[in-house]
Amino acid sequence: MSDLYSANLSRRRFLAGSLGVGGAVLLASCTAAVSRDKSGRSKPVQGGTLRMVQTADIAPATLLSQNNPNFSICRTVFNTLTEYDHKTLDPKPSLATHWNISDGGKTYVLSLRDDVKYHTGRPFGPDDVVNVIDILKQDTTSSQLKHVAAICDARKTGANEVTLTFSQAVSNVFDLFEVMIVVDKETYPDLLAGRKFIGTGPFTMQSYRPGSGYTLKRNDQYWKAGRPYLDGVEVAVVTQSSSAVSSLRSGQSQLALDLAPLDAIGLKGSAGFQLVPSDAQDSVFYLGQNVTVPPLDKVEVRQAIAQAIDRERILSQVLGGIGHTSSIPWSPSSSAFDVSKRDTYRHDPAKAKQLLATAGASGASVDIYYNAGFAPNAGIAEIVQFDLTSAGLKATAKPQQAADFFSLLSGSGIPGLFVNVHGFGQLHPATLVKGAFPFNARANAERFTSQQYSDLATKMWTTTDQTAAKGVYADMNDLLIKEQFVTDLVVSSHTYTISTKLNGLAWNMFDYINLDDAYLST
Amino acid sequence: MIRYAIRRIPSALLVLFLASIAVFALIHLAKGDPAALAAGPDASPAEIAAKRHQLGLDDSLASQYLNWLRGELTGDLGNAYISGGSIGELVRNGLGNTVELTSGAVVLALALGGAAGMGMGVSRRRPVNAVLNALTTLAFAVPTYVSGVLLVLVLAVIFPILPAGGHESLLRDPTIGVQYLIMPALCLSLPAAATIARFLATSMRQVLDEDFLATGVAKGLKTRRLLFRHALPNALPPVLTIVGIQIGQMLGGAIVVEAIFAWPGVGQLLRDSVLDHEYLIVQDLLLFAVAVFIVLQMITDLVHAYIDPRIRTEH
Repeated sequence: MSDLYSANLSRRRFLAGSLGVGGAVLLASCTAAVSRDKSGRSKPVQGGTLRMVQTADIAPATLLSQNNPNFSICRTVFNTLTEYDHKTLDPKPSLATHWNISDGGKTYVLSLRDDVKYHTGRPFGPDDVVNVIDILKQDTTSSQLKHVAAICDARKTGANEVTLTFSQAVSNVFDLFEVMIVVDKETYPDLLAGRKFIGTGPFTMQSYRPGSGYTLKRNDQYWKAGRPYLDGVEVAVVTQSSSAVSSLRSGQSQLALDLAPLDAIGLKGSAGFQLVPSDAQDSVFYLGQNVTVPPLDKVEVRQAIAQAIDRERILSQVLGGIGHTSSIPWSPSSSAFDVSKRDTYRHDPAKAKQLLATAGASGASVDIYYNAGFAPNAGIAEIVQFDLTSAGLKATAKPQQAADFFSLLSGSGIPGLFVNVHGFGQLHPATLVKGAFPFNARANAERFTSQQYSDLATKMWTTTDQTAAKGVYADMNDLLIKEQFVTDLVVSSHTYTISTKLNGLAWNMFDYINLDDAYLST
Repeated sequence: MIRYAIRRIPSALLVLFLASIAVFALIHLAKGDPAALAAGPDASPAEIAAKRHQLGLDDSLASQYLNWLRGELTGDLGNAYISGGSIGELVRNGLGNTVELTSGAVVLALALGGAAGMGMGVSRRRPVNAVLNALTTLAFAVPTYVSGVLLVLVLAVIFPILPAGGHESLLRDPTIGVQYLIMPALCLSLPAAATIARFLATSMRQVLDEDFLATGVAKGLKTRRLLFRHALPNALPPVLTIVGIQIGQMLGGAIVVEAIFAWPGVGQLLRDSVLDHEYLIVQDLLLFAVAVFIVLQMITDLVHAYIDPRIRTEH
């Protein structure tokens, strides 16, 4: 090639060109999507847009059940009838201002606020409560508290009064009121299809972009005077937990819901961030044992497995220390929580081997299934596999896609052990044994059936006297510890990783985030 | 020519029909029940069965296939099982976002690859060539999932000048939209830019040795005119072929970049839909991909037939 062309690209020109390209990138970013977040305020005054990331898109069709991706929308666009005080677990007014319980606990007369309007401008009233109870009774509506709605007859008995009559007195009615958002009866079909989100909450849905996120705008007609402080909320779906961390670190967002535990812990010591585990502690990691599959059909084998697992290792290595190890399913807030039984099963390989030998199951094969779409499951499954192999079983971890895992779980049954998460140990104990699928006394994921268990579950549900209930809880704990169809491992929490600019974040006992008092500061 | 084009339509429709059967069959061979996810956590077997019935998943496979085909023909793509949202809207949004990302990447690949290629092809200074060579090798060799993370680390975390991920439509807010676009587009464009640079450099070197350029020099033409009016147009044809291939590869490679930068494109939609067993969305996207391929194939055949009349007469 000739020299005469090469002289035209001097080193200086090359460097100038490179700097030009770099400069263009910098210039394009000077009014920045990042820097626009830096104008916070020092006091709780109105204004500002909260930017939030979550790892899965909302699922409008499941808004009446507790479903993690919906945590960001249930209490921001909608309201519930009552809200538990987190310390005393006494129900506090929300859409219902007060209530009168009579007829031995079978009748609840609720007085409703008369100043509440849906985002369409339509006044909220008793018919809306009747409507949502009726929706819960439908076959196609799933909710962990459906069993309560199913025995309820709801009627409008006044301009702002609704009467709920239950066919029998039950103990967890306020759990239903806590989980059940009051949807707009006129637009409910549109809500199911993700077209319209009409509630009574502090924010209105401005736009929903399926798969990528949604934008909320302040509801100027909100029934709580002067609230919310924020002008709006932008929620982005960021499926990779590590990308959500980058979003927080760069200041692009101020709140991340349920980061993978090790990602969240990585931010714990960083200046400008706070890792806030929910005090509801309703994220309980457990090992399910299908009792119809040998050798898990022998109770000694199930107990040996419970004894073999190193829960401390799971807590520290997989869950970043968020939570505490446990052999029972309850959070400390539950009245069934018994600290003396919490550590019944500790890591004891020798005892596990002995139990396996007694059952004649040494060397037997067991498969450990888990939903590989949820990061901690793989770590837990590996530790369980190692511990069971050390105890003398032939354990094999079997990763599954979410759809495969859950269809096995609810269909033909998982043919062995499975790692999963359950909630509902934080409120009334009956909600767990009647509503959470791993424990459901009528039909559960482990195929465990027992007349004693069924009777105890019914007693827990129908015993409204707390003193009498204590004895039932003790019996239930003994049964769960003995039978080990569910081997509880760690009672952990949903987490909120927040920028220290965000103040006033709250949530209800089902972890629906509440932004009524939230504001951004510098 | 028109008759030739019309004669191609039946075979294209037949391919599309056979593809629809293959796509439907493949998806339904996979294990798993989307109703179990759609019903929500802790749903009882009875609730899942009711949901399955509501979604039409308990119909016979033939009936499900015909319902889907009817929807495709009438333009009603139905609703997603889990989110309940309109599939048409999901696919439209996803495609729009992927096209936006790929277009940005193509522009960057052409700009960066063109500049580097010209530099490498024209310059005979060793340091310049060495630096450009090293950069193109690096850009070509480093996979997007590595360069993506590095870009986030440098431009979003250490020097927070660009958002780490997410999306804002260029049409809705161009100033903010372009900032969300820069990093993913740059990440996606780097291997293509390196390829374009290498091909352009080789092609330029060949053209620069041609006699007609020496004649131009002898006539006293300015270097800029020689390079851009005479050399570059002659060097471009083989490069344009490569650019076409690279655009296809970028569309395919967008799936990784979309995951890193939380870009809600069609790649992310397809990935999530496969994992969630959203049969209808996966079927629609795969059939759409087949349709695009068939249309492109038809266009190629027509262009060939237009250029070469023998092809028209043979058929």
